[in-house]
Amino acid sequence: MNSKEKILKRLAGDGMEPRPRPEMDFVPQRFADREQTFVERLEAGGGCAVRMEAGETLDEVIRRLYPEAKSIASTMEEVTSATINPDRVEDPRQLVDVDLGVVRGSFGVAENGAVWIAQDIRHKALYFGATALMIVIPREAIVDTMHEAVVRPEVDDFGYGCFVSGPSKTADIEQALVFGAHGPMSVTVVLR
Amino acid sequence: MSTHSKAAKRFVADAERLAWHDQALYAVREKRDRMMATVPEWEDLRRMASEIKLHTLSRLGDYLCEFERNATANGMQVHWAADAAEMNETVWELIRRHGGRRLIKSKSMLAEECGMTPYLEARGVETVESDLGERIMQLLHMPPSHIVLPAIAVRREEVGALFEREMGTEPGNSDPTYLTHAARRALRPKFLEADVSMTGVNFAVASTGALAVCTNEGNADMGTSFANLHIAIMGIEKVIPDMEALGVFTRLLARSGTGQPVTTYTSLYRRPAPGCEIHVILVDNGRSEWLADEAHRNMLKCLRCGACMNTCPVYRRSGGYSYSYFIPGPLGINLGMLRSPKRYHGNVSACSLCYSCSNVCPAMIDLGEQIYEWRQRLDRLGLADPMKKAAVKGMDFVMGGRRRFYGGIALGRLAEKLPRAVLENGLNPWSAPGRAMPPFAPRSFNAWWKKEMKK
Amino acid sequence: MKVGLFIPCYINAVYPEVGRASYELLQRVGCEVDYPLDQTCCGQPMANAGFEKDARALAEHMNELFARYDYVVGPSASCVVFVREGYPRLLPDYREHACVDARIWEICEFLHDVVRPARLDARFPHRVSLHNSCHGVRHMGLSSPSERQIPYQSKLRDLLSLVEGIDVVEPERRDECCGFGGMFSVEENAVSVAMGRAKVGRHMDTGAEYITGADASCLMHMQGIITREKLPIRTIHMVEILNSRS
Repeated sequence: MNSKEKILKRLAGDGMEPRPRPEMDFVPQRFADREQTFVERLEAGGGCAVRMEAGETLDEVIRRLYPEAKSIASTMEEVTSATINPDRVEDPRQLVDVDLGVVRGSFGVAENGAVWIAQDIRHKALYFGATALMIVIPREAIVDTMHEAVVRPEVDDFGYGCFVSGPSKTADIEQALVFGAHGPMSVTVVLR
Repeated sequence: MSTHSKAAKRFVADAERLAWHDQALYAVREKRDRMMATVPEWEDLRRMASEIKLHTLSRLGDYLCEFERNATANGMQVHWAADAAEMNETVWELIRRHGGRRLIKSKSMLAEECGMTPYLEARGVETVESDLGERIMQLLHMPPSHIVLPAIAVRREEVGALFEREMGTEPGNSDPTYLTHAARRALRPKFLEADVSMTGVNFAVASTGALAVCTNEGNADMGTSFANLHIAIMGIEKVIPDMEALGVFTRLLARSGTGQPVTTYTSLYRRPAPGCEIHVILVDNGRSEWLADEAHRNMLKCLRCGACMNTCPVYRRSGGYSYSYFIPGPLGINLGMLRSPKRYHGNVSACSLCYSCSNVCPAMIDLGEQIYEWRQRLDRLGLADPMKKAAVKGMDFVMGGRRRFYGGIALGRLAEKLPRAVLENGLNPWSAPGRAMPPFAPRSFNAWWKKEMKK
Repeated sequence: MKVGLFIPCYINAVYPEVGRASYELLQRVGCEVDYPLDQTCCGQPMANAGFEKDARALAEHMNELFARYDYVVGPSASCVVFVREGYPRLLPDYREHACVDARIWEICEFLHDVVRPARLDARFPHRVSLHNSCHGVRHMGLSSPSERQIPYQSKLRDLLSLVEGIDVVEPERRDECCGFGGMFSVEENAVSVAMGRAKVGRHMDTGAEYITGADASCLMHMQGIITREKLPIRTIHMVEILNSRS
């Protein structure tokens, strides 16, 4: 008997009565102003939210927020200020410590300020290796809670995906909050 | 005296450290409370989490097979390990076949449980912890003292001295931001040069064959971004039915554990990237037997959030190292007993039965009630402390007869006339330093009643 | 309303005044009170130490002593909780009659939920810090546990609001354990005293003159620390305040 069979046999003999799958019998919270809640909670977690002005371009937002960025990696067509096309890079290590990565997100979650990114670039290393990360999502794409988020179609079709709710952080030294543990030092979500 | 009680005495002796440890952890508990306050349906969520876990556990074999089917269809490879030895062998075999030498790993309690790191180190695999807290503990050659906050018992000055030695940071600089960024720089090459990455698994979604991994640092994702072999290890209780269930658990996990609305990164691994491999190892190591123990199977509902440690007044005031099992606090007392009552019963005393843990648990595990139950089992297992047993038998004998009880009070009253030095010695356990004995009243209530009612 | 007064062992021996106040208070609110003689112990200390089965004889004795009362009422939340939760396991053969576990009440809970007096004619012109004991809070619902999302309520506070001149406050970490825990206080005495010290300190931080609660055992533990360290605060049982004369 192999280990799988052994484990399954033991589980079959655990004497546990079948328990039904519970139904969601309550209504999760809703927010009067999802966008506002999303922005507040993202910022509470150390992230930054920017609403694009009418007529403003992504390049302008980038210049406004990250004027010092020299190496900018993005596959987004609108980002003409990009200096690196990350999909043309063979070795993901080359994306580490670029000044700014600009990437697409699918939608935001109001209750926790997270953004869903379904990997649509060649190397996910950019999401974590960039010193600053800018995530662009459609302004109207904000759901209330994780209950809605996890059943969205974008969370059903992906190889790798991630809910990101701010810059990489740690409090492992005396519970003092520090941004930029390993991943981006700053994260900006652009609502377009 | 229990092993915990002895070790706790040493922790308590350092009043300043104790006060800091207690306050730092209670602050996390308070953050958790503030998060709870933002979710009106909190108690519904806990109930839902508990019921989903129980449902999953009652069909665990089916869900594991469903997960295996879907993960395999997604291009992952799934392995089963009956025990710690088999998990370690499987990991080693994967690394060896891959020609791996350098492993970058994120935090995994399962790896601790199985003694995996020393096993791999002995075979020449450099194993680097990438979570900052875990890395600090690895460099200190000490185990974590908390499952979510591994370095909570280490002070900033100690980290400063360690990093000065290990990374050449400025002498005397113990600023957390400075030290964290020094570790960031020092770990960069470890991430980039690793040829194998390892993560734990917070949730394995059976219906989609996806793995959910939650971190704040992004270290798990950073690790899996360069090496083309990713090994994910998980206890078999980590499987959940579907995405709806993931929605429930992700709402509770970080709010309960660290007082954040969600972890910074909740990553889902579904298909390996082109040219990469993901191997998932499903590890039993006792769990299927624990499931058969009706009084304690609830432990398998655990999300490993650490809330029970943060709220435990005993853990906060005795520290992780006063427990003999590698997981401390209410969770560790119970898991240690499931692992081996003989080896770990010395932790069962570390509970004042305040039941805060049971109330704080997002999966509604009856942690305190289970500790009570373990105490009842110790005698049957022949592991009851003989001194304590004698004391209880004595108490039982005195209480069993009214003459003995009321005569005992009279004797006690006489004994109080003895000098304090005689009464409050090491043999009288009530007289801990710092607490005076309660004096017996001149007349018991019983005697008063007899006299008054005769009038 | 025929009430059998349950006086736990350590109250009998150490705090008879709490027993007397309980008796008087119940009479004042119109109960017919009787005290079955020769009570000893409910068995909780043995059970918490891991010897619940050894408490069976005591449970049988309790059940017999209180067989003829509609209500059994005692001034100790943790003892009452043990009788309620432990006796059904210890006395499985007595289930056909309503066992003592089904009729027992902690005195504050009894006053609050059953007697519901509109007034008490009590006066206690002092600042008092409430001690929310673990069993009272988490197993009896005397107040809402801070871990749960339940609207705040406190039966102790409700009752004290009937007392004239009193100023009721609660410490920071309002329901953190004081560290008594029966055998825990002996077996883990270093941690127990550290917990007690911190708890007394938080009560003192409120500026209160008294610490009060429904569990005399917690009060006994904290008083031990207060006495040893000669701290400017003292413990007093809820019933003594509710029974104070105006």
